[in-house]
Amino acid sequence: MRKLLYGVSLSLLLITRPSAQEVDIFGYFEPQFNLIYLDDGYYQLQSNKLRVDLKSNPSETIEFGANFDWIVYHGKRDWNFWDFIPKEVTSSVHPYRKPRYRFTYDDRSFLDNAYLRLSFPSFDLMVGKQQISLGTGYAWNPTDVFNFKDIMDPTYEQPGHNAFRIDLPLKDGFSLLALYSPESTWENSGKLLRLKGRRGHFDFSITGTETEWGVTDYEHAFFNLFTTHKRRLLGGDFVGELLGLGVWGEGAYNFVGDFEDFWELLVGGDYTFDSELYLMLEFYHHSLAKSDYRQYDLNDWLRFFYQEQKSLTRYQVFCLIQYPVTDLLNIGGSTLVSVSDGSIALVPTALYSLHENVELTLIGNINVGKEGKAYGTSQGHSLLLRSRVYF
Amino acid sequence: MKLKAFIPLIFCIGFFCAKSGSAQISMSADTIIQKVTRVMNPAQSKAEMKMTIMTTSKKTRTFVYLAYSKNHGEKTLMKYLEPSRVKGQAILMLNNADDIWVYFPRTRRVRKLATHAKKQKMEGSDFSYEDMGVGDAFIDEFSSRLLGEEKKEGQLCYRLELKRKPKSSSGYSKLVMWVDKENFIPLVVDYYHDDDSTLLEKQLVCSDIKVIDKIPTPMQMVMYNKLDRTQTSMELPEVTYKVNLEDDLFTERGMKK
Repeated sequence: MRKLLYGVSLSLLLITRPSAQEVDIFGYFEPQFNLIYLDDGYYQLQSNKLRVDLKSNPSETIEFGANFDWIVYHGKRDWNFWDFIPKEVTSSVHPYRKPRYRFTYDDRSFLDNAYLRLSFPSFDLMVGKQQISLGTGYAWNPTDVFNFKDIMDPTYEQPGHNAFRIDLPLKDGFSLLALYSPESTWENSGKLLRLKGRRGHFDFSITGTETEWGVTDYEHAFFNLFTTHKRRLLGGDFVGELLGLGVWGEGAYNFVGDFEDFWELLVGGDYTFDSELYLMLEFYHHSLAKSDYRQYDLNDWLRFFYQEQKSLTRYQVFCLIQYPVTDLLNIGGSTLVSVSDGSIALVPTALYSLHENVELTLIGNINVGKEGKAYGTSQGHSLLLRSRVYF
Repeated sequence: MKLKAFIPLIFCIGFFCAKSGSAQISMSADTIIQKVTRVMNPAQSKAEMKMTIMTTSKKTRTFVYLAYSKNHGEKTLMKYLEPSRVKGQAILMLNNADDIWVYFPRTRRVRKLATHAKKQKMEGSDFSYEDMGVGDAFIDEFSSRLLGEEKKEGQLCYRLELKRKPKSSSGYSKLVMWVDKENFIPLVVDYYHDDDSTLLEKQLVCSDIKVIDKIPTPMQMVMYNKLDRTQTSMELPEVTYKVNLEDDLFTERGMKK
């Protein structure tokens, strides 16, 4: 099915080729330099990413879009999650298992998105590899089972997902989204229904999804025991305004067959002061995560690192501040607070517009929590310098 | 509300004014503001706009976008064409800009902005999101007073003072406006600081007025930020009022197309 979806999308690209002038080509080049301080040592990791987007509208009701990504890495490409886990946790695990948790930044070139969108009078049909964005949260999205945000850089683009998607506008500002993300069988494929509406100055939605959720038991003595579970999610979100503040919320209850049910909740608010200082605050709860850091075990850490679970710690607060120092320079940063264990990560940021199509971004990451906590010193510190040239 | 009148100023100018002519004698301030508001809100419009920001360091940033407007400015949609950095981004404003959504194509995410976010500069320009909105702000948010008549930009104008009403949420304490007696276009608008009604914050100047689809239209507008020493100009390479825009365009679905 996956190949078929690619085929459909690529065929359309070929169809549009004779009128190549109608294919819009754009994208960006993104070199990054990352300096990491870990275990009293400094390491460097560089990457160069080229993204090329294609977009074509053979008619008003047909749209084809795709993007190819090429990423090459230099510097320290080989890492091990083990090195980021507190010593109290790894000391109880036999070192022969350490190689199991290696990961390498391999050079990659891949088709990230490739979709065909057909607009009919009463609905839109979108087929192919595409972005799926759900929820109103900024740092976390409890209703989104398809993506895993990098909390240090939550707005970075997410990978595309294979899906058939229908957007059906209803009356009075309501709309229905039906999405099917095919895997090997119907049972383990992703399904989603979302009803969205508007009342007053509030937008809200109700979401139901069914997906297969993979969970690994990393503490198994001989190999990583990977199990899959049917995950059914029922959730909702809203966004609006209250007493002059922007407010939003998102919650989801997850029914996980033969595993533990869990729920996630997020509430947030933001405000822009007259000085243009922007302030955002989000609170997040994940019931599957632990509230006592002394109970974090190997599974907790690795499930978080491998993006099987969105949070290591049960209660978190995310605070974002942005201020335009000049018309070309924005500075600010975010602070992540694990309310459960009292650890803090500071993420200072700066964004400078060097040219109309050239941006420079600086993102720091300083973990100031005690060893063993969610944002503890075991995770090191880092400084990322990113430039992006759009074309 | 700040200046909820930018797009209409560009789009509009005329249908009513064309009939007004120079036969206007003396009018009350309220009548003039009503006429200004009426001419600022054409039924429907579609325009390509070129916005150029002159920064404090004298660097320029140019944006090109398509702007659609319907229901006399009650609905507005802007879609960026250039530069590549923001290509495909869209801003939807409904209910006279009381509800604003921004669409980011790279993540296909739509973000709803609360009222306070309207204070943010739009792409670093001297126009805030609120400035780009439309509606009856001059009537609803301000009490107007006619100060007299004088020449401005070579035209005989009504000079008006608009003071913020007590319960208004406008970000300006006062406006001073020079309205062309011929066509009721506000040729110059001075915007005074939120906390200091003597401190001039911004000045908008409209020029190069041409008749498009029988409607006089300022083809260039410049917003001068008197505090930051920056300016943003807006040109209209293309504009038409003879369009039939579907309501579906002014939805989340329409933003993504």
